[in-house]
Amino acid sequence: MGNEPLTASLERVFGYETFRPGQQAALEALEAGNDSLAILPTGAGKTLIYQLYGYRHAGCTVIVSPLLSLMADQVDRMRLGGFRRSAAITSQTSYTDRQTILDQLADLQFLFLSPEMLAQPKMLTRIKQLTISLFVVDEAHCIVQWGPDFRPEYLLLGAIKEQLGNPLTLMLTATAGQATRQEIAKQLRSQPTIVTESVNRANIFLDVDRVNDEADKKERLQQLVSRLQGPGVIYFSSKQLATDTAEWLQATTGVRAAAYHAGLSGEDRFKIQQQFMSGELDLICATSAFGMGIDKNDIRYVIHYHLPGDLESYAQEIGRAGRDGQPSVAILLYAPGDEQLPLALGQANRPDEAEIAQYYAQPTKFDDSEPTVHLLAFYRQHGISQAAVQRLFVKREQERNRALAGMVAYAREDHCLRQRWLAAFDEQAPAHTEDCCAPQATPLDIGRLDLGRVVNSADKATPMDWQTQLARLF
Amino acid sequence: MGPADLLQLLDQTQPRRVRAIENLLRGRRTVSTLYWGQRYQLLALLSLAKQLDRGALDAAAQQVVQQGLASWDANHERLVLTPRGLAAQQSATYFHPQTADWWPTIDLMTARQRILLAVQVASQFSHHAGHYLPLTTDMATRQFVRNWFHQVKANDLGTQVLAALTTSLAKLDPLVAAVVTGQFTGYQQAGQTLGQLSQTTQRTPWEIQLMQFEGLAQIMQDAKAPTNPFNSLLQPLWQTPVSRSAQITLNTVKQGQTLAQIAGERRVKVSTVREHLLEAAIMLPLAAFPYDRLLAPATRDQFKAVVQGPVDDWQYTELPEALQKQYEFFYFRLYAIWVGKQGEQHGK
Ligand SMILES: [Zn+2]
Repeated sequence: MGNEPLTASLERVFGYETFRPGQQAALEALEAGNDSLAILPTGAGKTLIYQLYGYRHAGCTVIVSPLLSLMADQVDRMRLGGFRRSAAITSQTSYTDRQTILDQLADLQFLFLSPEMLAQPKMLTRIKQLTISLFVVDEAHCIVQWGPDFRPEYLLLGAIKEQLGNPLTLMLTATAGQATRQEIAKQLRSQPTIVTESVNRANIFLDVDRVNDEADKKERLQQLVSRLQGPGVIYFSSKQLATDTAEWLQATTGVRAAAYHAGLSGEDRFKIQQQFMSGELDLICATSAFGMGIDKNDIRYVIHYHLPGDLESYAQEIGRAGRDGQPSVAILLYAPGDEQLPLALGQANRPDEAEIAQYYAQPTKFDDSEPTVHLLAFYRQHGISQAAVQRLFVKREQERNRALAGMVAYAREDHCLRQRWLAAFDEQAPAHTEDCCAPQATPLDIGRLDLGRVVNSADKATPMDWQTQLARLF
Repeated sequence: MGPADLLQLLDQTQPRRVRAIENLLRGRRTVSTLYWGQRYQLLALLSLAKQLDRGALDAAAQQVVQQGLASWDANHERLVLTPRGLAAQQSATYFHPQTADWWPTIDLMTARQRILLAVQVASQFSHHAGHYLPLTTDMATRQFVRNWFHQVKANDLGTQVLAALTTSLAKLDPLVAAVVTGQFTGYQQAGQTLGQLSQTTQRTPWEIQLMQFEGLAQIMQDAKAPTNPFNSLLQPLWQTPVSRSAQITLNTVKQGQTLAQIAGERRVKVSTVREHLLEAAIMLPLAAFPYDRLLAPATRDQFKAVVQGPVDDWQYTELPEALQKQYEFFYFRLYAIWVGKQGEQHGK
C-alpha cells in the first residue's frame, strides 16, 4: 500500500479523484518522513490527511484532541466513514469502556486521547508499546491558547513525543499566525513542513455592529435573528447565557433555536446536532470552544455576542459560516467595554504573585481540585521554580493582552475589517469593496447581501399525534 | 427539580425530610435513606436522579415555603404541607405514574439506553438505511443492541417493533405516549431532547422524566412475552431491588445461620449484616423476608405494648430501659418496618 500513489489511495478509500487544497502537500511531507504543520481552514478536510495516512501505513495513528465530549462524536464519524478500528479514551470514558478499549489496543488503527489522558504514566506506558505510525495533534493552537493557564498537560506533549520515540507528527489547526506557528513547533520539539492556505473566506461578509450597552445588544441580536436567513450560529462565552438566549429568541422571534455546549448529555448533543443538520433547527446558541463540534456546510450567519479573546479564535469560529461557498455573514456585536469580559476570564484562572508565593511555601495546604491550585501543582511537580512560574504568568498575561488588543482593534476598525483581520495572519487582503465588509460605522445591509429571512410555512409543522409519529419511524 | 415537583412529594400530615428525599433521588442506599423512602412511600424514586448535586432540592424547598405551600418543622429539616399546599397539590394537573411499583425492580437507565438505540436501529433498518450515526451510548449498550439486532433481524422487524410499541404506549396516558415517541431517534427523525419536550408540553423537566420512566416500564413489562421483539433485549434488566451483598446475607439467614456466624464467615461486622437485613426488609414485600425468625411474635408484642402514636414519632431512646437492654436498635427498626409494611398491605 505504501507504494500506491496518493491519488490512487484517495480514490480507493474515499472515492474522490482530487485532493482539496493543502491535503496533498501535507501528505507528501509526511510520506517523505517530515513532520507537518497543516494550517487549513475549517471544512478543508483536515481529518482526511490522517485518515489516509493511517490507511496507507501499518500501526496506530494516535490523535491528541482537546475536546473530551467531542471525541466520542469524532470516533462515531470515523466508524461511519469505514474506519471501524477507532476508539477514544478520555476522563469521561467509563471504567468498563476503558478496559474494553485497552484490551483491543493492539488492533486499533486510530486512537483518540486527551492530553491529560496521554500524560498519565500508566496510559503512556501502554501507548509506548504500540507501533505508532503517526502522532497527530488536532486543534494544535490549543497548545498556545490553553496550555499555560488551563490545560498544562499540553505543555508535556513535546516530552511525551520524545518518550514515544519521536514518531512522525502531524499538527493540525485552522488558524495560526507566525507566533503561534513557532510556539507550536517549539512545544512539540519539531521542525515541521508548514502547509498553509489563505485564511481569507471571500464569501463571508464581515460586519461589526457597534451597540451602546447590554440592553442595546440584546435588542440588536433579536433584530438580526428575526431578519437573517438561517441556519445560523451565535457564540457566547457562558453556557447559561447561551441557554437563556436560545429560549428567549425562540419565544420572541419564532426562530427554532437550541443551546449547544459542553454541559449537554451525549444524547442531547446528538439530537441537537441532528436537528440542526436536518433543518429542524434554524439557530444554535453555542459556547465558543464547543462550536468546534458543529459540522454543517450551509451556515449563513455567525454572530458573536461576546468579544473573543483573540483574532485566531474569531477566525476559527466565523469559519463555520458558508462552507458551501455561498454568501454568508459574520457579525460581531461590540459594546464599549466588552474587552473586560475576556480580560476577566483570562485572569480568573491566573494566580497572582502572592498566591504563587503562598502555594510554593506550603503546597500541601491547598486543595488540588481548584483549577488555579491544580495549575500550580502541575508546574511544581514538573520542577518549575517559583520565579519561573511567576515569569511565565507575567509573560502569558502580556501575550493575552496583546492578542486581545488585536481583537479590539478589529472591533473598532473604521476602514476595512478584512484587511485588519488578514494582517494578523500576515496576509494581504484584496482591495476593499462594498461586498467586503461593514465596519462599526457602516450599517449592515441584509437585503443587499441577499441574506434576508424567508419565513417558510413548512417550518411550523403541525403537531402529529403519537401514532402517526411512531409509524413514520418504521 | 422545581417547587412544583417537590410539592408532589410532600404530605399534609407526615412531615418529610428534604434531605432524605434528595438522598433517595441521588441513589444513596443507606438504611436511613431507604427507611424514610419507605415511610414516605417514595421508594420508586430511588436512584432516578443520580446527577443531582447535594443540596439540589434546597432552592425548591425554600420556594414552597415562601409561597406558603409548606412549612418547616422546628429543626428546619422536615416539610409539611399547609392547607393551601394541599389544595395546590390536588388541583395541579401533575402527572402521576401508574407503573411506579415496578421501577425499583428495573434497571431503568440501561433500559432507556437500550430501547432508544434499538428503536433507532430498527427504524433505520426498516428504511434500508445502512449509513447513519448511532446514538451516543456506552459501549456495552452498543454491543448488546448489536447482538440483539443480529438475532432478531428479519424483513418485518420494523413492523414488529411498531406493533409492540403501539400496544405498550396505547395502555398509557396519551401525553406519556407522545413524550416517549417524541424522544425516539430514527430514520429522518432526530428526536426531541427532554428539555424540548418539557417546553412543548408545558410540563416540568422532572414530569417529563417521570413520563418516560412510565413508558419504559410499560415497554419492559410487555417485553416479558417471549413473542415481543424486545424480549431478549430487555428481559435481563429486571433486577431484585436489593443490593447484591444484602441479597447474599439474606439468603444465608434464610438457610438458618445466626447473624454472628454470617459476620464471621463473610468477614464483616455484625452491624453490616444488620444493615443488609434492614435494606432487604425495606425493599422486599412482607412475605419475602423472614420476619418470624428475626423478630419473633413475642418480641413484637413486647414492642407493641410500649410504643404509641404515629410510627414516624417512635424513638428508640424513649423505650423503657429494660427493653433497650434486651433489644438493640436493629430489632426496634425492624419492628417499625414490619408495622409499616402491614399498614401498606391493609391500605391497598
Ligand atoms: Zn473590507
